[in-house]
Amino acid sequence: MSPRLAAYEAIAGTSAVTQLRRLGEKLAGFRVVHVNSTREGGGVAEILEWMVPYMRDVGLDASWEVIRGTPRFFEITKNVHNALQGRAVDVPKKDWRIYQDVNEENAERLRPLLEEADAVIIHDPQPAYLLKLCPDRKGKWVWRAHIDISRPFRPVWKVLRTFVAGYDASIFSMAEFAMPLPHPQFLVPPSIDPLSEKNRELELSEQDGVRAEFGIDPERPLLVQVSRFDRFKDPIGVIRAYRLVRKVAPVQLVLAGGGASDDPEGKEVLEDVMEAAGGDPDIHVLLLPPNAHRTINALQRLADIVIQKSTREGFGLTVTEGLWKGKPVIGGDVGGIRLQVADHHTGFLVNTFEGAAHRIRYLLQHRKRAMEMGNTAREFVRENFLLTRHLRDYLALLLTIRSRRGDHVVYL
Amino acid sequence: MKPFEVKDCALLMRMSGLPPAMNLRELRDRIAICDEDVLYHHFCETTLRPMFDDPDYRNDFAVWSKLYLGDRVLAERLGILDPYSFAGMEELRAVVLEIIDDRLGELTVIPWVRPGDEFFFKQSTTVVFDTGERIEDPKDLHRAIQRMTNGSVYYHFLEALRRPPAGKDDFSSWLLDGGEEFEPYLHILGSIDFQFHGLAHLREDLARALRPAEEGG
Repeated sequence: MSPRLAAYEAIAGTSAVTQLRRLGEKLAGFRVVHVNSTREGGGVAEILEWMVPYMRDVGLDASWEVIRGTPRFFEITKNVHNALQGRAVDVPKKDWRIYQDVNEENAERLRPLLEEADAVIIHDPQPAYLLKLCPDRKGKWVWRAHIDISRPFRPVWKVLRTFVAGYDASIFSMAEFAMPLPHPQFLVPPSIDPLSEKNRELELSEQDGVRAEFGIDPERPLLVQVSRFDRFKDPIGVIRAYRLVRKVAPVQLVLAGGGASDDPEGKEVLEDVMEAAGGDPDIHVLLLPPNAHRTINALQRLADIVIQKSTREGFGLTVTEGLWKGKPVIGGDVGGIRLQVADHHTGFLVNTFEGAAHRIRYLLQHRKRAMEMGNTAREFVRENFLLTRHLRDYLALLLTIRSRRGDHVVYL
Repeated sequence: MKPFEVKDCALLMRMSGLPPAMNLRELRDRIAICDEDVLYHHFCETTLRPMFDDPDYRNDFAVWSKLYLGDRVLAERLGILDPYSFAGMEELRAVVLEIIDDRLGELTVIPWVRPGDEFFFKQSTTVVFDTGERIEDPKDLHRAIQRMTNGSVYYHFLEALRRPPAGKDDFSSWLLDGGEEFEPYLHILGSIDFQFHGLAHLREDLARALRPAEEGG
């Protein structure tokens, strides 16, 4: 067994790791290629960063390709992304032409690899058009949608649908995110890597260093929301909740986010957040570089309460991260947050900034209850949202699509 | 007595293809026509899914009735159903429909949910594989169970109830071949109430139930 996999035995259990090895043995040498649009920044890149090496460790011939695009291409795909999440953002024909042209340029480079693969997994809309550009493909193609497309802006979805309908299968994080498509739609929630820089245990001295670096007062409670500066994450709503709490408790707030190379809108949202913060010295708005994983890790560990007050959310890996660090999470009652925040058990689900403020005050007043919730949260993640479960789902999916049968039970 | 072959399984969920239900009438109509595998998923496969391990109810219809329809009466009536006590999914379906029809008859307004709270009909593929592990002596079964994954526990104790001979878990079927000596264990296995526990807890229950007297069982 690889040292990397062996390291998980202590965390996820020997049986979970053994299970992966056995499934991997059935797929030895299977060529699988993942394709997405960014090597760093955002949840997809983080998942692929660990998934590809671990697929190799259990015996698959796995690789990861990133499409290259112009800044205009990424502006367009950001609009597509927003439209799929429900914003009325039109994508004119000329923009779709640019989208297709960039995919064609990438197809020229990637076609031999993709057409020879046993399975190709295309992540999100950016590279989705590649399927149409690989007519001699031998393997199965799967479209992996990481975002919530349950109520898309329909003109954009109608176009994208023509690109993804031809896939052999699709994967969504939750049933609630899926749209009807003429192929099997599998459900695979994402996960976190407990040994990654963002989630591994940190020395207290390192946490103290981060606290000092950003001028956070160790004596007062800390609220932390970590996410991209994106309107769907509602950072302004978090500031409003903080202000309500601040009337009765001396809390501090950290809003920490990184930019991603495929997210040009982040700058604009960040400016709005800075304006809303209004120079309050207890609101720490931190724009962190994509590799600031240990800093984010430390901030989450320093938090008394982790917040993820999204109004739309894919899965919400930052929620999983907070839960794994034993923190109660106050999350928006949307998307994948519902799957993770078991109301009153691992945190609270809220619909408004007023609701968030109410629950923050409750947890600040009931510290023992907050600690119990945090312990429950960590065990909940251990059982359900670590990468071992996620990798197992992908291996099962590859075995299922390889078997070409739609049976309820597939015997290997 | 042939060795016990330890299998393992992984559950892969997928959409059933049915439209989601926005109200109790739609839930009833979709349950009436859905595939047996869909019913099986929402009643029996919930233990293998990523979900909080201490839900009020084990079946998804009861949970949805309570959390989203806001109908606690219906939730209680559906929540007590033991899917393994029925001869098959068709018998279970008939009872579920009866309960919902009764409830619709009692209500003056059909309960409905907001967009985003719909009931989504799902099903699963269970990928089953041989672990290579064999248990030669029934006296070692409890130790082997303690090492098993959740998938193995599910496959041999719960999923087995759906396979021929129906209604019998794999451990009991194997112990039956062991003769009278193991009959007491069969009774204990048959009396385990697994409706209220997750698979980790069930594994502990099974291991405890099968521990020989000389080892403290």
